[in-house]
Amino acid sequence: MIRTTLLASTACLIGAAAAAQTLDVALDVPPAGLDPHLVTAFNSVLIASPAIYEGLTSIDNDLNVQPGLATDWTISEDGLTYTFTIVEGATFHDGSALTAEDVAASLRRVQSEDIASPLASRIDLVTGIEAVDDTTVELTLSAPFAPLLASLAGIAIVPAEFETDPEALQQTPVGTGPFRFEEWQPNGYISLTAFDGYRVEGQPALDEVRFHFVPESATAQAGLLSGDYDLLPTIDPATALMLEGQPDLNIQTTRDLAYTLIGMNASVPPFDQPEVRRAVNLLLNRQEIIDAALFGAGVPAGPLSPALTSWALDVSEFDCYTTDVDAATALLEEAGVETPVQVRMIVLPRQDARDIAQVAQQQLAAGGFELTLENQEIGTFVQDWRNGNFDMFVSANGGNVDPDLYFYRTFFGGGSTNVFQYADDELDAMLDEARSLTGTEARKEIYDEIQRKLACEGPVAHIAYADLSAAVAEGVSGYTISPIGRIADIATIDVAE
Amino acid sequence: MSAAVATLRRSPLLAVACGIVVFQVAVALLAPWLGFQDPFAQVVANRLKGPNATNLLGTDQLGRDVLARIVWGYRTSLFTCTISVGIALVIGGTIGILSAYLGGWWDRITMRLMDVVFAFPILLLAIGVIAVLGPNAWSAAIAIAVVYTPIFARLLRGPALVICESEYVAGARAVGAGGARIVLSHILPNLVSIVLVQTSLLLSAAILVEASLSFLGLGAQPPTPSLGLMLSEGRNFLRLAPWPGIFAGLAILFLSFGFNLLGDALRDTLDPRLRAAS
Amino acid sequence: MRTRFLLGRVLDLALVLLGVSFIVFSMIRLVPGDAVQIMLGANTEITPERVAELRARVGLDQPLLVQYWDWLSGAARLDFGTSIWTGRPVSAEIAAAMWPTLELTLLATLVGAGLSIPIGAFMARARGSGAEVAVRVGAIAGLTIPSFWLGILSILVVTSAFPGLSVLGYVPFTEDPLGNLQRMVLPVIALSLPMLANLSRLVRSAMLDAMGQDYVRTARAKGASARRVTYVHALRNALIPYVTSVGVAVGYMLGGAIVVEQVFAIPGLGRLVLGAISERNYPLVQATILVMTASFVFVNFAVDLLYAVLDPRVRR
Repeated sequence: MIRTTLLASTACLIGAAAAAQTLDVALDVPPAGLDPHLVTAFNSVLIASPAIYEGLTSIDNDLNVQPGLATDWTISEDGLTYTFTIVEGATFHDGSALTAEDVAASLRRVQSEDIASPLASRIDLVTGIEAVDDTTVELTLSAPFAPLLASLAGIAIVPAEFETDPEALQQTPVGTGPFRFEEWQPNGYISLTAFDGYRVEGQPALDEVRFHFVPESATAQAGLLSGDYDLLPTIDPATALMLEGQPDLNIQTTRDLAYTLIGMNASVPPFDQPEVRRAVNLLLNRQEIIDAALFGAGVPAGPLSPALTSWALDVSEFDCYTTDVDAATALLEEAGVETPVQVRMIVLPRQDARDIAQVAQQQLAAGGFELTLENQEIGTFVQDWRNGNFDMFVSANGGNVDPDLYFYRTFFGGGSTNVFQYADDELDAMLDEARSLTGTEARKEIYDEIQRKLACEGPVAHIAYADLSAAVAEGVSGYTISPIGRIADIATIDVAE
Repeated sequence: MSAAVATLRRSPLLAVACGIVVFQVAVALLAPWLGFQDPFAQVVANRLKGPNATNLLGTDQLGRDVLARIVWGYRTSLFTCTISVGIALVIGGTIGILSAYLGGWWDRITMRLMDVVFAFPILLLAIGVIAVLGPNAWSAAIAIAVVYTPIFARLLRGPALVICESEYVAGARAVGAGGARIVLSHILPNLVSIVLVQTSLLLSAAILVEASLSFLGLGAQPPTPSLGLMLSEGRNFLRLAPWPGIFAGLAILFLSFGFNLLGDALRDTLDPRLRAAS
Repeated sequence: MRTRFLLGRVLDLALVLLGVSFIVFSMIRLVPGDAVQIMLGANTEITPERVAELRARVGLDQPLLVQYWDWLSGAARLDFGTSIWTGRPVSAEIAAAMWPTLELTLLATLVGAGLSIPIGAFMARARGSGAEVAVRVGAIAGLTIPSFWLGILSILVVTSAFPGLSVLGYVPFTEDPLGNLQRMVLPVIALSLPMLANLSRLVRSAMLDAMGQDYVRTARAKGASARRVTYVHALRNALIPYVTSVGVAVGYMLGGAIVVEQVFAIPGLGRLVLGAISERNYPLVQATILVMTASFVFVNFAVDLLYAVLDPRVRR
C-alpha cells in the first residue's frame, strides 16, 4: 500500500519513501525485545525471523530442512561431526561480512551461561564448535542427535561482537536477513526497511515492512477492511470465519503445528495412575471441544501434528479417542478412585483455552471429576505450570518439526519441560534410542510406539490442532502461510497498489 | 411510608428510576425460582443461535442460554458491587466523619492517605489490587472498595465538617453529650440524603468498573456468568453472532443506568435548594 | 497568609506523591512472579544460579528497602532507570507514549467541557419539560454506556458504513494532521461522552441552584433578560464546581484511558502500563504510574489554586 502524505514538502523530503512499497502487518501483542537468542514469544520470532535474522538451516512450508546461511553440510559416519559450508557474500546489516567465526560465536552465545538463552537445550549435545576457516564450521556432538539440523534453523546468526552482550540486540537487532531494523514505536509499530546489501540480487521486493500492534481482533479486522493493514498473519478461527467472503482479501489456511492440550500432574493422585489418565481421554469428546472452542476449525490431536506427514499417526489408531463414559467409569472404579474427585485446573489466559476448559469441565463431570477452573494471568500461570502447581491445566504449545524436539524434553524423566513429573523407564529408553538413530525409517518405528503409549496414558491429553489462518489483502503477492506461523517468504512478497 | 408515596408521585422520574432498579434487583434475587434455563448447561450443537422461542436472547459460543446468563450475570454484578460499595461506605464514611469530628493531625494524616489512594487512576488501582489477590469476583469487590473508600471519605467529610461547626452540635457538646452520641444522633442523620444519592451514583459507576474489570478478564471467572466477561467473549465473534455481545452490553447499560437515574432523581428530590428553584 | 497556604499545599502534594510511590513500589512486588521469571517464560532449563545472576543484573537481589531508596532517589532527580526488558531509558518510553494520551485528553476535554455548557444550560432552563427529561435521560445513558462496548460497536458500524476510512491506530499530528484527527474522532467520542454527561448535569444543577438565589431573582426582577441572567450570573456561580470537575476528569484521563486505547489501538500511557504490569517491568510500572498520579495531583493542585483565587474564603 502506498502511503501518501498531505504535505508536498514532506513528500519531497522523504522522496523515495513516499512511493515506497510497504507491507503493513497487524499483530496483537508487541514483542518484549528482539534478541533472537533471548526472546521466544511467538510475535518476537515472527518479526525477527526470517526478515532480520537467518539460521544455518531453514525450514520450508512443508516442514523440510533447507539450506540457510549454510549452503551445504556433511555428517560423519558416526553422526558425531557436522561440517557446514557458509554461504558466500552474506553481510550483516552493520556492513561487516559474515564469517565462520560469527556462526561459531552465535552458537557459543546460545550455550553461554551468562546469556542464559532458552534455546540452549536445542544444541546441548553440541560439545565442540570450531571455525575451521572463514567459510567452514565444524560441530562435534557428544552423542548422535538426529534433529540437529532442524534445531539449527531456529538459532539466528548474529555478529560475533555480540557474543557476550546480553542487551544491545534487544532493541537494535543486527542480522543477515533481507530487512534491517529501522524504528520501534512502543505499542505502536516496528518498522523494518529493505537491506540493500542482501546477498540475493533483486530481493527483497518490498521497501518496508511495518508491524503494527493492535490488541483488539475487531480493530485489526476493521483495519484490514479499510486498507490500513495488508496482512493479518495469524487469526483465530472466528476471525477467519468473519472475514471469509469479504471483498478484496483472501484467507489462507493451513494445519497448525501448534496444539492445545490438557496436562495432568502425574505426581498427584489420582492422575499418577495410567488408568485414570486413560479414563480422562475416554471422557473427553474432542470433536465437541473443537466445535465449541475452535468454531469447528481444527482436527483432534494426537501427540504429533498431522502437518508432520512423515511421523504422525492418525488419531483413529488411538482406541481411547472414542468417547465412552461407561468404559471410563469402569476404569476409574477398577483403579479404586473415589468419586467425586476434586480437581484444580489452571487455564492459560487465551480465549480458546478458556472455552476448552469450560467444555472439558462439563465432559469430565460425567466421570465424577469436579473441576475448579482457575483462569490465571500469564505470569501466574507460567509460574504454577513450571512449579507443577496444578492437578490439570489447559494450555497451548508451539509445535516442533522433529518428534524428538517435543517428546524428549517433555516426557523424558526429569526433562526440562516435564512439568507433570512423568517418569516411565520404558519410554525413556525408547526416547534415547530414537534420537541416536539417523535413519528415518528406524526412528519412525520407535516414534509410532511412543505415540501409541503417550496418546492414551501419557500425562498430556492432546486436544486439537487448529486451522491456522492468515488474512491477506488482494494486492499482496508471493505470500504463503506457513504452519509454523512465520512469514517465510518475506524476501519475495510484493504489494501492488 | 405515605410520605414516600407522595414523593414518588411528585417526581415521576424518581418513580421510574425506582421501578427500574427494583425490577432488576428482584429478577436477580429471585432468578433461581423464575424458571430461567440453567446458565451453565452447554448444548454445543445449539451454539451461537439468534433469539428464538427456546432461547429468547439466543445462545453463546458454548450453546448456553444468553438470557439466563445475563440474569445470573446481574447476580454476580450486583453481589460484587453491593459488597464493594458497602465496604467503601462504611470504612470511607467512618474515616470522613471522624476526620471532621476529631480534626487536627488525625484529619490531616488520614485525609492525605485518602488523597494518595484517590490519586491513582481508578482502573489501574483496581488492576493492581487484583494482580496481587488473583482474579476473581471477591478480588474485584475488594479492589472497587479500595478505589471508592477515599471518595466516600472526602464526600462525607465536607458536610460533616459543616454540621460539626454548626450551633446545635456546639450546643450538644456544651450540655456534655459524649462524642459517640453526637456523631450518631446529630451528625449521621444529617448526612443521610447525601449518602443515599452518592451510594446510588457510585453503585452505577461500580457496575461499569466491574464490567471493565471482567472485560479485561480480571473479574468473575468462567464459567461464572458475568456481564463484562460475556461482552469480552462476544466481541470476538460480533460479526458472526452479535447477540451475546450486544445483549450483554445493553444489560450493563440498563443496570448502571437504573442506579444512576435513581441517584440523579433522588438528588433533585432531596436537595432543598433545587426544589426551591422550581 | 497566602505563602503559608501555598506551602501547606506543596507539602501535602509531596506527601501524596511519596505515598503513591511507596504503594506502587510495594504493590507491583506483591504480584506473584517477578520480571526474571516472566522473562524466562516456559524456559525451564535455567539453573537456579543463572536465575540468581539474572536477578542480580536487574537489581532484584537487593533488599527491598535498598531497592526502594535507589529508585526514589533516582526518581527525585527524574532518573527513572531503564526498562528491564528492552534496556531503553524508562523516561524515553514514557515520553513516546505520552503524546497520544495527551492529545486524546485535550480533545476529549475540549469536546466534553465545551458542549456541556450549552447542554446543561438548556436542561436548567427547560426544567420539567419533556425535552429536558429526554436530554437528561440521554445524558445518564451517556454516562453509563460501557466505553469499550461503545468503542467496538462504533468501529464495526463506521467500518461497515465507510469501508475505506482509516479510523484506527495513531499517526502523529506532525506527520499527517488530517489522518491524525480522523483517527481521533471515535476514541474522543467514546472518552468525552461520560465527561460531557457528567459536566452537563453539573452545569444544570449549579444553574438551578443559582437561579434560586436572591441576586439572580433580583437581576431578573430588574428586567435583565432571562438568557443573560442564566448565562452571566448563574454560570459565574457554577464556575467553581465546574472547574473542579474538569480538573478531576482531566486528571483521570491523563491516567490513561486504558480501555479506549486498547480498543482503538492507540499507543498511549494506558497500554504502556498494562503491558508493563504483565511483564513485571518494575521500573516502567513504577515510573508510569508515578507520572500518571503526579499529573492527576498537579492538575488538581492547579485547580485548588484557581479555586483559591476564585473564592477567597478557601484560603482560611
